[in-house]
Amino acid sequence: MAASYWESTQRKYWTFTKQQLMLERKKLEESERNLVNLYPLPDRRLLSIYFYHMLSKMARPLGIRQQALATAQVYVRRFYTKVEIRRTNPALVLATALYLACKMEECPQHIRMILAEARHCWDTSFTDISKIGECEFTLISEMNSQLIIHHPYRSLADLQNHFQLTQEENALAFSIINDHYLTDSPLLHAPHIIAITASILAVVLKPNQGGPQMNAAGVATVLQTLGNVRNASGTPGTQSRVQKLIDWVAESSVDVEALVECTQELISLYEIWESYTDKTCKDQIAKFVKARGLDK
Amino acid sequence: MFTGYNTKKRVNERYRIVGFISSGTYGRVYKAEGRNGRVGEFAIKKFKPDKEGEVQYTGISQSAIREMALCTELSHPNVVHTVEIILEEKCIFIVFEYAEHDLLQIIHHHNQPHRQAIPARTIKSILYQLLQGLVYLHRNWVMHRDLKPANIMVTSAGKVKIGDLGLARLFYKPLHSLFTGDKVVVTIWYRAPELLLGSRHYTPAVDLWAVGCIFAELLSLRPIFKGEEAKMDSKKTVPFQRNQMQKIVEIMGMPSKERWPLLTAMPEYGQLTTLATGNARFHRPQGLENWYQACLKNNQYPPGSSPDTPGPEGFTLLQQLLEYDPQKRLTAEKALQHPYFAVHEKPSDNCFKDSKIKYPVRRVSQDDNDIRSGSLPGTKRSGLPDDSLIGRPAKRLKEG
Repeated sequence: MAASYWESTQRKYWTFTKQQLMLERKKLEESERNLVNLYPLPDRRLLSIYFYHMLSKMARPLGIRQQALATAQVYVRRFYTKVEIRRTNPALVLATALYLACKMEECPQHIRMILAEARHCWDTSFTDISKIGECEFTLISEMNSQLIIHHPYRSLADLQNHFQLTQEENALAFSIINDHYLTDSPLLHAPHIIAITASILAVVLKPNQGGPQMNAAGVATVLQTLGNVRNASGTPGTQSRVQKLIDWVAESSVDVEALVECTQELISLYEIWESYTDKTCKDQIAKFVKARGLDK
Repeated sequence: MFTGYNTKKRVNERYRIVGFISSGTYGRVYKAEGRNGRVGEFAIKKFKPDKEGEVQYTGISQSAIREMALCTELSHPNVVHTVEIILEEKCIFIVFEYAEHDLLQIIHHHNQPHRQAIPARTIKSILYQLLQGLVYLHRNWVMHRDLKPANIMVTSAGKVKIGDLGLARLFYKPLHSLFTGDKVVVTIWYRAPELLLGSRHYTPAVDLWAVGCIFAELLSLRPIFKGEEAKMDSKKTVPFQRNQMQKIVEIMGMPSKERWPLLTAMPEYGQLTTLATGNARFHRPQGLENWYQACLKNNQYPPGSSPDTPGPEGFTLLQQLLEYDPQKRLTAEKALQHPYFAVHEKPSDNCFKDSKIKYPVRRVSQDDNDIRSGSLPGTKRSGLPDDSLIGRPAKRLKEG
């Protein structure tokens, strides 16, 4: 529930292993083999970046908070594990997810505002609120009404004091958490795992090297130190803050494998980000939406 | 999805509607039996569309979204269990476990035909179970915000279950002050003083005040603070609930800044001071203890301390629940540790244990059995809404 991730539907029904997630998606693709072959799409992470750009473009003028945006991103990711993207109009799904997320995060937006902003920002073809209303039913139904999302932001707030993160480090950790919504991590890991990963990365990588340009060497250091933890060969007594962090991880019962996996997800995101262009995503989505009349 | 929303489950394929139970601001509740292998009885809540007679999708109300999300997530023996949620062609149905009774009905039964007190053991068990449900909600950062006798269900096995999460919400670090969300919460008679005085950032303590009011009502069989609600004016400003505040002060006396340091910071504090002028009873309030003693005497609970009377422990519990200062008011957790629950025997988890009283089953009307198309709420009034039994004020929900 709200306080306890351990009892939550998020943990019980929406946290997968990598294999489970792969299998689910494969099943989905197989069931729509023709569509998938007909309309190739960019890498999922690139699509996620594109979706994020669309969402934030819309969220900004409405003054929608980051947490609602994050909730919308998780809704979209969950939804597309159940429904093949080529059967949907992604713009409609995004607008609806944001509309629903705002209600869930207690910062509601009127459905007409959402529609107007979507039309303004994305030049969408749907012109009627009933489209969003109907899509809301589909979203909720596919998610089995499991709408409460546990975000790593709360864990970060706790860790901030514990690890004595500087303001810059905290800001970097925050933006790393923002980035993780572009990966599958929200479906793979508990929020505290993500918050710890973000904190470690923020301390290891100097804040001024942050963002998508994080250098590979820094990240490799992290993995190496995490490897040390696994071998329980941390050198006690070292006073560096990184070492303190690592010692803490070693002493706690945190799943180190998960931290490594989570870090790798982020690295591969930052790597692929270099090749991102708005246009490719836009065009390839437009192809199946137009051809199949999904925008009607 | 471009072909439209595809209903996966159909309410009529899964349930047979037995009859209509009640209606409220949210929609209607029906009694149902399971079909096609589903066994047992159920209560199905059908949300009414935002606008009456709506044939289009217009977006689901925030309170319905909250209730769906919370019902899906929550699970505790003292919170009404949600079986499933069905989204079917513009309608939302939440299927709950069925409860034969509720506290309003039980209180009503003891009032008629002739007055007979609710056994002290029953009351203790009800409160004990109610508080356990509330501890669970509060630990999970859920404020109920509309506790009242009609919303507390009791099964035929004597299990107490908190129902109707239509106004409930999470209170962990809200993005906006709670006041901005819903201007008016909690049915007037159960509304805490800090809400009446316009507090913006209220806490779960509002639920504990309501528990105090419910405790008092179980003892005396009538609402302890039965005020009249001031209606919202045309400008939609929230009025000061003068009459309700008066009812509280007549028994409890005026709140003081000595006992409630933040009192003077309340937005409606100025209004409070004008209450006293020209009202003699303000200076000579009845006092909660006098109220309590008179109530025990009227309802013929034996004097002294025994399992057959709420006794002196009951008074201190009531006093600490009806504490003006929300910061000093008992929390649900602390209330459970109160001596009231420790003296004599341990409260039973069946509130009807050792009671010979037979309560009537829930009234179910046959006029409206068509849950699917049926009559839209408001177009046909069949049955007696629970809330109208003895002239109860309706729940007020105002979304900002």
